Parts: sequence; structure tokens; C-alpha cells
Amino acid sequence: MIEIKGISKRYDRRLYALKGVNATLKERVTTVIGRNGAGKTTLIRILSTQLFPTSGTAEIEGLDILKDTKKVREVISSIPQESQLIGILSPLEQMQLYLMARGFSSSQAKRESEYALDELEMYEFRNAPSDTLSGGMKRKVFVAMALAAKSPVIFLDEPTTGLDPLSRIEVWSAIKRLSSKIILTTHYMEEAQELSNEVLVIDQGDIITHGTVKSLLSTFDGKMRAEKLEGEEFDIKIANVSIKYIDVNEVDEFVRKGYDIKRINLDDIFLSKGVMLES
Amino acid sequence: MNPKFVLYFAWYYGFYVIKRGPSYLLASLSLPLSLLFMVTIFTHGTLIAFAIAGGPIAIVAANSINGAADAAFFRIQIRIQDLYVATSLTSQDYMFALSMSYLVFSLPGIVLYAILGAYFKVFTLSSALPIIGILILLTLAISNLSFIIAGLLKHIRNVWGITAILSIIMTVLPPTFYPFYYLPRGVIYVLSVSPVTPAAVLFQGILFPKAVGMYSSVQLPMFVIFIVETLVLIFLGRRFIRWRE
Repeated sequence: MIEIKGISKRYDRRLYALKGVNATLKERVTTVIGRNGAGKTTLIRILSTQLFPTSGTAEIEGLDILKDTKKVREVISSIPQESQLIGILSPLEQMQLYLMARGFSSSQAKRESEYALDELEMYEFRNAPSDTLSGGMKRKVFVAMALAAKSPVIFLDEPTTGLDPLSRIEVWSAIKRLSSKIILTTHYMEEAQELSNEVLVIDQGDIITHGTVKSLLSTFDGKMRAEKLEGEEFDIKIANVSIKYIDVNEVDEFVRKGYDIKRINLDDIFLSKGVMLES
Repeated sequence: MNPKFVLYFAWYYGFYVIKRGPSYLLASLSLPLSLLFMVTIFTHGTLIAFAIAGGPIAIVAANSINGAADAAFFRIQIRIQDLYVATSLTSQDYMFALSMSYLVFSLPGIVLYAILGAYFKVFTLSSALPIIGILILLTLAISNLSFIIAGLLKHIRNVWGITAILSIIMTVLPPTFYPFYYLPRGVIYVLSVSPVTPAAVLFQGILFPKAVGMYSSVQLPMFVIFIVETLVLIFLGRRFIRWRE
């Protein structure tokens, strides 16, 4: 379990990246979701002991991130946002280095690295210089690091940003093989819905909403989303798109009015809170 | 301290850069070998011994200062530093590992100059130990200077330009390829702001005791300056590395 206790982060005198965030993350996979600059990465960097909070703290598996930093680092693995492999070194070499940095012996590091690469169908590329790998394969190597480290808690900061759809699915498949508690950030709704049981929505350094995917979507039970360019009826208007939440029995009526009808998904949690995300 | 990580990182990042990117090795050798050629031609061979003696210093200094680009690239661009922060590794382990990788990367150049030095009777077996000691200290001093530079940078766009300028200034201006006693004593002390100067003065004192002769009184102050500078740079390097921000 992760307990976030009033974490704030101020980068200069005025700009708050996080404003006293409180949350208890209980589910196995939690997605922190928000648009660019919302504070996701700052939160993950603080939780994974890379960044000091301005105030507040957090407990990971009962260990305080400020007081028990050394012990916290033994139970977590963190894959930073936009992290890339050192091009001239192979995946196997870099995984060994990562595991040795975590205290594995050299033989144990090699064995666990090869096993994890094999699990993620990367074994045949283990000795190739990393700059010869595709973007998706490079990200999978980082997931393999987390897999091999066998940490109880894993932080993945935007693991699929910038990847093409196929590579993204490959990385999702790799993430699904992890059995640890996972906290991942993304600004892709479909990713959050695909991978997680719990969602923490952040905007401008504040938590907008927090709950299981099921509970968040339950507020829209029996509803559909109707969209139309310059539609006259709307609950929300974004640019010139009118969005109206309608009952299922109103679908035919709105189709006649020229609206497109869509199923409710996590996008609607954001839209209803006034936050527009990439989808 | 995590010696396993330090050794493996130093070997992997030092050796595999040589093996998989030999152009980097040739680039690192091109300046000292060109200067060796020029010094030999312009002095009709009289200063060839000094130019050979300066080669390993120039190689180690240039490779270590180029570490600023690596350190900045690893922290800002590819975020490898962040990956290691969230492990039991300490900033000292990480910095020491990077420093040692530059020493490994410098080894082929040092061996080349050792062969040249043996052929021209510049290096002797008895001088090997203090020379190796100076090169290790110089690697630590300059690589920590490069961590300070990297820590001050917010963007990496200027880092390659800055390291290229520093590399030239630090290897060509100090008495690396020419006798330190050609310089007025005051200038030697001014130039000793770069650890390359005391390293070069000490090198020449060890290798050319007869030629240095009456100028040897500068050796002890240079030794003290070298040690103090190395310690200060190691201390500051730890402060500027931005391990847990």
C-alpha cells in the first residue's frame, strides 16, 4: 500500500507542481493520469525518492520516503519518463548494471536479466547494441529491468509515450506480466483503462478524482456520450464540439439530430471534470 | 560503496565504447598525436620526450572532461541517472564508476604512449607507479569537474561545445607538451587552476629530473595544489551531481 500524505512541491516561489496531495493507493495497479504538466511525474519522482517534496511525505509498504530512503529504495524500481538505453551498450549489459546497482551479484544479475529478456521475447536481442533496437523494444528492456529486479513496488512513468500503436501494445503486454504493485503515469486514457484497477486523476497539482475504474465509470451508468460539431444541445463544449450525456433511451433521438453516439470511457471522467486529455 | 557495479560499469562503458565505437578512440588520440608530431617537427626532435610524456595526461584529461557531456546526457536526456537514483547505489558509486570508465577508455592511448615512451626511453619501470597514481588522481579531479559542469547545465545543447573548448584549453595551454620551466613561475601558478598543470609538472619532475633540476622547488607546491584541487573537486562534484533533487 502507498499512502501519500499532503505532498506539495514548489519549483520556484510561485509555481506549485503539487498542492498538498493526499491519497491511499490500495489496488495492485494504479494509474496516475493527467495531461502534460499536471504533476504526474513530480509525484512519481517524489514517491520513488528521486526528488524531495517541499512538504508532506509518503509511506511505501510502511516505509517513509524521507526517513527510510535506503529501505524504500530496496523495495521499489522506478523507470523514469523518457528514459532511454545507453546506445552503445546491449540490453543484457544494461540490465546487469541495473541489477548490480540494486545489490545483485554479477552471476545472479546475468541469470535474472536473461530470464526476464526471455520472458519478454527479447532474448535474441540481448547482445545487440541498444541503438539498433526499435523504440518499443527499448521500452520493453526497461520493463524487463523492473521484472528482473522483482521489486514489490514498481513505478513506470509514461512507459509508452512516443511509441507507435503496435509498440504500445507490446509494452502493455510486458507490463501485464509484472506481478508487483505498479504505479504508472500516462496521459492516454485507453492505457489507464487497459492496465489499471485504480485511477488517480491529477490536474494542476491537485487530485481531481480517485477511485477504481469501475467506481469512476459507475457515475455514468445508463449513459452514452453524444457528440456533434456546433451542436445546439450540450453539457460540455470543447472548441466547437458539443458533448451531451444522454440516457440510453435517448440515443435514437440524438442520432436523428445528427449526433455521433459513443460509449462511456475514462475520457468522460476527465471531460466531466473539465479536463481535456489526449486519447 | 558498490565495487561490483563500479568495476562492471567502468569496464562496460569504457571497453565497449572502444570496441563498438572505435571512432571515439581515434578522436581522443588525434589531438595529442597531432601535437606530438608538431612539437617534434618544430623543435627538430629536441622536445619529443616532453611531448610523449604529455600524451597520457592530455588523453586522460580530455576523456575525463568529455565526461561532462556524458553526465549531462545521462541526467537530462536519457534519464539513466534517475534510474540509478532509485536504487541502493550512492552518488559516489555512480560518479566513481563513470570516472573509472574514462580511465578504461583512455587505456589504449596510455598503452600507445607507454610503447612510444619505452622506445624513446622516456618512461622507465621505476617511474610507472607514481605516473599511474597521477593519472588516476587526474581522472578523478577532471571527471569531478565535469560532474560540476554537468550539474550546472539545464539543457544539453551547449555541453558538447563547452567540453570541446575546455578540452583544448586544459590540454594545450598547461605545460603538457612542453617543459613547465619555459613559463615564468607566476604563470605556472596561474595555470595550476587546472589540475592538468600540477599533474604535468609532477610528471616532468618524475621523468626528467636532470632537465628540471634547478626548477624542482615548484614540485612540492604543485603536489599540494594537485591533492587539494582533487579533493575540492571531488567534494564539489558530489554537491553538484543533483542525485536526489
